[in-house]
Amino acid sequence: MTEIALRVENLRKTFGNTIAVDDISFEIKRGEFFSLLGPSGCGKTTTLRCIAGLEKPDKGRIIIGGEDVTELPPQKRNVGLVFQEYAVFPHMTVYENIAFGLMIKKLPKDEIRRKVIEIAELLELNPYLNIKGAKLSLALMQRVAIARSIVVEPEILLLDEPLTLVDAKMKESMRRELRRYQKELGVTILHVTHDQLEAMMVSDKVAVMCQGKILQIGTPFNVYDNPSNIFVAKFIGSPTMNFIEGRLECQDSELLMVSDDVRIRLSDFPLEKLRDYVSREIILGVRPEDIEISTQPAIGSITGKITLIETVGNKLEITVELNSLTLKILSPLRADLKIGQPIHLKMKPGKVHIFDKITEKNILSEEVW
Amino acid sequence: MGLMSKVLRVIALAIFLIWLIIPIAWTFSLSFKPYLEWRVAYFWPKNPTLLNYKILFFYEREIAGTTGGTALTKPMTTPLINTLIVVGISTIIAVLIGFFTAYGASRYRSPGPFGLYFTLLTRMVPPATFVTPVLVYYRMIGLLDSHIGLILLYAAATVTYSIWIIKGFIDHIPREWEEAALLEGLSPINVITKVTLPLVKSALVVSGLFVFLMNYSEFLFALVLTTKYDVRTLPVHLSTYVGGSGALYGAQAACGIIASLIPLVIGYVIQKHLITGLTFGMVRA
Repeated sequence: MTEIALRVENLRKTFGNTIAVDDISFEIKRGEFFSLLGPSGCGKTTTLRCIAGLEKPDKGRIIIGGEDVTELPPQKRNVGLVFQEYAVFPHMTVYENIAFGLMIKKLPKDEIRRKVIEIAELLELNPYLNIKGAKLSLALMQRVAIARSIVVEPEILLLDEPLTLVDAKMKESMRRELRRYQKELGVTILHVTHDQLEAMMVSDKVAVMCQGKILQIGTPFNVYDNPSNIFVAKFIGSPTMNFIEGRLECQDSELLMVSDDVRIRLSDFPLEKLRDYVSREIILGVRPEDIEISTQPAIGSITGKITLIETVGNKLEITVELNSLTLKILSPLRADLKIGQPIHLKMKPGKVHIFDKITEKNILSEEVW
Repeated sequence: MGLMSKVLRVIALAIFLIWLIIPIAWTFSLSFKPYLEWRVAYFWPKNPTLLNYKILFFYEREIAGTTGGTALTKPMTTPLINTLIVVGISTIIAVLIGFFTAYGASRYRSPGPFGLYFTLLTRMVPPATFVTPVLVYYRMIGLLDSHIGLILLYAAATVTYSIWIIKGFIDHIPREWEEAALLEGLSPINVITKVTLPLVKSALVVSGLFVFLMNYSEFLFALVLTTKYDVRTLPVHLSTYVGGSGALYGAQAACGIIASLIPLVIGYVIQKHLITGLTFGMVRA
């Protein structure tokens, strides 16, 4: 058996003149929880539907468990799909819903019974087996939909925005459950979502999509800490990364970013890598938690004025203005800050990202993925 | 306030009910009145008789002279059976074609400019316009005086209604349910029979009843396209109860009462579906 559960090669799908999926490739290892993350309309659901066989790709190959399924109809692909609205059949009981796929496969009655009970126990659905699908709560429907999809032991389980319908509190516990089921059952999951937090929490690997293209694939940490371009940097993380536009300059073999509002010393960056960009326009990105603040000036610090302080849990979200520039900063709770007060900022070494203004690509990140 | 509005509602419903029932009740009482009482203003028959019903099932000879002249009537059994055959089969055809058309229209885009609205064209012209062309055409292809001729015409004329009624229901069924079934391993045909059909059962029944009732009382085309007693339908037959001194109101009333029993029975049998169907209720089991 191959270690790769799913491989997508150069997949392309257009609807009329719109390109929904533009030549994407990725692979998912067996047992992995893989998320396709992107804003709505970025082609992630279309990708999923192509994999399920509900849409016919214009180009590309889809290989599931080592077998090329590009030309196969959905029922022959051995994939499970949990829809956004779960698609639990309302006219059937929970038991019938779960047993549905097994009955189609014409398994013996007692084997169906055994398998259904087994999966129901795992997902704690036993008390509901005789309830009709129409009467279930959303949380139960999700479990039934998952049970129905995995009882047939698919090579890969596809989840299409499975948590958009539930409220915030429920979401949190359902995310945890989802992760737990996945580990316990050892299934391979391809999960589609527009919720970056959700993707970061549940996935082993994340692929960030935008306008039909995959921009970056990596572990959640990797994607967060080393975004490959401005879109990924902006899309992941809340509050969003701060961006400062300016020109890279080199004075006395020290790098500087100069803009109308501010001059920032980039002392800890390797000059060799950035030499090509000297005196070109760049965009500097830094996450709100990667800016240190101090009431006292220090070497290399820049000075701004606090315009807003918000308390978010045990953190402070501080808005600082430097001339026409606005920065968001996350800092641990402290009581000594006031609105209107001047404040000195210093960016944590190694946490500053530099993007090419034209290509919007991260200059420093090696394209390892 | 609550009580007041309740009372008002009961009164309104009572008036509506009376409005519905009076003509039926009058027909019912008329069907038991002898010839001399047909044109009277009172409700209860003074000399109740079953003669009107007898007229419906025997040939003219036996009742001659009792209805204000010789009544040259024929029994209603053959027309009744004709009606059930013609209307029953045309309804089944209309509902089946309606279901598949509605399914296609709901799930796929129609090619070219011919949207589903084109099916409404047949309903936009008064039926009388079609009478002569259909008559000529039917004569040429030999469909006059035949069950099949009426069946085809009725099915074609009412399929529009069943398409639109059923489509409303299918539109309410999320596509995901079908796709889920597809992924579970059902073939596309089985998806329709095992998932979609059970969910729109009520719609089929309701549109079936609707189409049945329309065809059941169709008069114009039945009159023009049939000349023989052997293929005559009930509405046409009803108009033949005429005696030496005018219409046989009693017999017509009796015939009407018997004719209404059939929809009544059907309505009773499909009661359960009517509630989900007529409320266009969400497709819930």
